[in-house]
Parts: sequence; structure tokens; C-alpha cells
Amino acid sequence: MSREIAIKVQNLVKNFGKDENLVKVIENASFEIKKGELVALIAPSGAGKTTLLMMIGCVQEPTSGEIWLGEEKVYDNKWTAKDTRKIRREKIGFIFQAHYLIPFLNVLENVTLLPQTNGVSEKAAKQKAMELLEYLEIADKAYSMSSQLSGGQNQRVAIARALANNPEIILADEPTAALDAQRSISVIKMLKKIAIEQNVAIITVTHDERILPFFDRIMKIENRGIVFHKLDEEQNEII
Amino acid sequence: MINLAKRDIEHTLGKFIVTAMGVGMLLGIVLIMIGVYRGMMVDAEILLDDISADLWIVQEVTLGPFAESSRVYEDMKNIIYVIEGIDKSEAMTFQNIQLPSHDKPVRVVAVGYDIYGSINPINPKRLIAGRELKNDHYEIVVTDKTGFKLDEKIKLGRNLHTVVGITHSTVSNGGDPLVYISLKDAQDLQFSYSNKEIQNNEARGVKNSEAFMVNTIVARVKSGYDIDEVAQDIRKWQHKSVYTKEQQKEILTKNLIEKSAKQIGLFTAILVVVSTIIIALIIYTMTLEKMKEISIMKLMGLPNSLIVSMIVKETLLLGVFAFIFGNIFSHLIYDRFPKRIVLEIPDAWTLFGVVIIASILASFVGVKKVISADPAAAIGG
Repeated sequence: MSREIAIKVQNLVKNFGKDENLVKVIENASFEIKKGELVALIAPSGAGKTTLLMMIGCVQEPTSGEIWLGEEKVYDNKWTAKDTRKIRREKIGFIFQAHYLIPFLNVLENVTLLPQTNGVSEKAAKQKAMELLEYLEIADKAYSMSSQLSGGQNQRVAIARALANNPEIILADEPTAALDAQRSISVIKMLKKIAIEQNVAIITVTHDERILPFFDRIMKIENRGIVFHKLDEEQNEII
Repeated sequence: MINLAKRDIEHTLGKFIVTAMGVGMLLGIVLIMIGVYRGMMVDAEILLDDISADLWIVQEVTLGPFAESSRVYEDMKNIIYVIEGIDKSEAMTFQNIQLPSHDKPVRVVAVGYDIYGSINPINPKRLIAGRELKNDHYEIVVTDKTGFKLDEKIKLGRNLHTVVGITHSTVSNGGDPLVYISLKDAQDLQFSYSNKEIQNNEARGVKNSEAFMVNTIVARVKSGYDIDEVAQDIRKWQHKSVYTKEQQKEILTKNLIEKSAKQIGLFTAILVVVSTIIIALIIYTMTLEKMKEISIMKLMGLPNSLIVSMIVKETLLLGVFAFIFGNIFSHLIYDRFPKRIVLEIPDAWTLFGVVIIASILASFVGVKKVISADPAAAIGG
């Protein structure tokens, strides 16, 4: 059975500036990512990883080209900031380098904030949040503040928060950058599990080569375009 | 739905309370300033109300006896008394003097009145110890704020006076404590010269006839007579300036207090503006501290309205807490001021309204910052 396409990008172009100051970041990028896939996005610094992530995440409008999230074409005619916020709220989960949990909310409140904003009742949002926290083995810290948790625990809460609105896509910006090797592998294994079990497409920006073997595909920005690589598992090198 | 403002305040409760206390002190000073003005209004009317005269007869073309100096002959009271419509009339003097005290001289206003007369300036309700004056000489009734005790001796001019009574809350329109002495003692004090000066004056052919002067004649009008008409009769036939109680109040408030009131009003307005700016700066700083979280919330897709409502609620709560602290602060310190401070509930409610408006205005800076926050700032570290 073929899996549904979660992200479809066609002829995507992103430029900054004008005339002699024109900087081309992405040129004619086209790719598809299916639900349940865990994809790494790699490239040297300044190559446009974050820009690509922001365009898929409906934070930054492309210069031209199309982005489809499921059946919906984003940045279609006359989209407003309100529309992009709505699609982010309903379809996308974000995970960051640092956990960036809201420091004045406890773990449970951090996870339930977005679903409640989407109109889910407090009771239902709490129930779902507790299920997620149990799934991520951090339920015992539900009423703790983020300042009372370790880096790894906080990152697990951030993952629970990203999953709380049942997203079709998760965009992770170097989620293991602040973690040691053991915790990095543990987080990426968790993302792999989530991608399969929750049927979510996950794009992860990373510089960490140690975690590359855990990805289904590796997407690299080369010469402003997108190229998919395979990993030589024996050498642990991109070919 | 989670109350973000409540959670944020709980998270930084100590900082929030200290900030609210700081702003509260400013608001407390605003309340004190308003209280000073109210106190001046009350002070201006105490003596007028205690004497409760319908008419004040003073030297012609003066605004006496409080706004300008005035001298009339004591026996004018008899002339006034026989005018149709007059029920009672008495002579009175008012003079600023300094009483020698244990630590430093006390500045007071001495009210001189005829202790056998029909109009008594001492309000019995204000007499908290001792009695009124009973003897024509060497007795004095003082206000508690002067610090003198019963039976204490005070040197006034050339004579020692015994404190026979103590009143509470009796002050002049300028806020100085009042003391009461007999008319004869007051005339001696105000108009009698030393023996050497009398000798000098007589050598120059000047006869000392001022000992029978007073500052004003106060009168009460019989019921059934029109006060303004009686006043007009006195003006016409006795060549004196005559003011009704209302006119005298107006002279005191308009001529003596108006400028002070304007000054206090200006200070109050400046303090309110300063408080607004401080609240705005605090909210701006508090918002700046949360910019990363705000960017993340925007990136996650939380509507602006939710974040804006958090900022506005926090600002309003800061204003409300500051207002409460301001009230507590002003009530703790108001009686330490040397002059009367009157804190009135309607003034506090007016200030509350001003604080709410100021808080809403102050929240605009934070709200502007929230609206301009870039969700992209959350990505890329």
C-alpha cells in the first residue's frame, strides 16, 4: 500500500534582495515526502536549510513555486498571516534546537496550550497530553516546570508539544544540537518511532552525522537545489 | 483555556509584586497630592464653619481678615448689633504668632474673641481636653498639634498664659494650628506697644489709640431676614466691606488656595504621566524578556489575540496591584505630613479609572512589540 504524500514541493524558488543585491537561495527545488517518513535535511551553514524549513512551515513565503501540505496548496492566492498561523496550528508541529518550552507553564500546560487554542476542551487536551507524555516516558513530570527538567527531558516534552495537535508534518530544527551522543540517538530513535506510529512526515535539519543512519532519506541542498542521498551504512558516509 | 497572564505573573511573582509596589508608591504620592488639596479646602473652612457667622464686616475695600489685613474699631460691634435684622455681633482678631516651645517655636494663628460674647469660635465638639476660656486674661486654648499640655505656661508678649483647653483638628486656612485667647489679651498682643515705645510715641505727639481695634466684626442674621440685603445695608451706611459666609469661603478658596490647587494639579498630572511611562517601560521590558517565547507561540500558530490579551491583562493587573499598594502606602503615611491630608474614596476611584486608562495606553508598547514579533526568529537558534 502506497503511503500518502505529506509534503509536495514543485519548482520552489527563494530569492532575497533585488537587482545587484539579489541572492538566490533555493532554485527550482522539487521533492515529495510521504507520511511516516523521517527525512534529514543537511547542507553547509548558510546554504538555505532554515529558509527551506520556514517555507514548508508557512513562516516565509517562497518567491515562486508551489508547496502542498497534504491536499492543501499553501501560500495560494491572497493568503494572510492569519491563514498561515491556522495551518501551522492545525497541521504542523515544530521542534527546535533548544526545547523553548514556555517557562511560566508547567509540562502539561505546555503540551495542552495548542490543542486548547484549536478548540479542544481542557479535559480532552489534558487526556491526550498525558497519553503523549506517557508515550514519551515523561508523564511523571507532567506538573513540573521546564526549569526542573534535564535537557533530554525537556526535549521530550517539546516533542510531545509538537505532537499535541495531531500534526501531519513535524519540522525539527537541529533537535539534537544541545544533547550528548547518547541522548541524541535516543531522541532520533523516538522521532523515528513517532514517524511510523503516528504516521507523520518528519523533516529534521541536522549537522550531526552520528544520527544519520536512523533517517529514511537524506535530503541535501546542493547548488541551491535538492538532492537525495543514500547512506553507506557500513562506512556511515553519504554517497 | 490556560490563563497565560496569570501563569506568567505566578512565575515571576516576586518581581511583579516589587514592581507593583514601586509604581504603587508613585500612585500613593498622587493620592497624597490630591489629599493635600482636599486638606487645604477643609482647613480653609474650619474656622469659618466653627464661627458660623452670616456676615463678616471688615475694613472698607479690603478682603479681610484672612486674605488682606483689616482693622475696625471694636465698638463697631454695637453699631452693627442695632442694625435691623442682626441677631448677634462680636469683634474678633486673627494674628500669626510664634509660641515658644521646648524644641522649636510653633507657628500658630491666635483667634481673639470676647469670652462673654454671643459668638464663640471654639467648636465644643473639637474640645478634647480642659475647658473653654473663662477669664479675661492669661488663659489660652491650644490645638493638640502645638504639643502643649494642659496647665502648661506659655509666654505671649509680656505675659504668661495657662493652657486651659486643648482642641483637635483646628487649623487656619493656611494649615497653621489655632490657639484661642481673650479679645483683651489679643488686642494687647496685637496693638499694645512696649512702655518705651509708648513714651516715644507720646513725645512725638502720637496717641496710642489702636488698643481698641479688632480685625473683623462677625454677625449672625435673624431668621426671616435676607442676608444679602442686611449686608447691603451695612455697606451703604457704615462704609465697611461686608462678606457673607459664602463670599468669605470663595475669597479663601479662590484667592488663597487656587494657585496652590493649580500647582498640586500640575504635579498630580505629571506624576500620572510619569507612572504611565514607567508602567509602559516595565511592560515593554517584560515583553522583551519574553520575545523568544512569543516568537515560538506565533510560530506554533497561536493567534495574536491570545498573546496580546496576555500582555494587556498583565498590564492591567500591574495597574490594579499598583493602585492597591498605592492606597495602602498613602494610608500608611498620610498622617505623618505636617498639614492635613484628606483621602477621599471618590478621588481614589477617579485615580483607579485613570490608572486603568494609563495601563491600557501603556500596554500598547508591549502589544506593538508582540504584533511585530517574527515567528521565524524561533527557528535557527
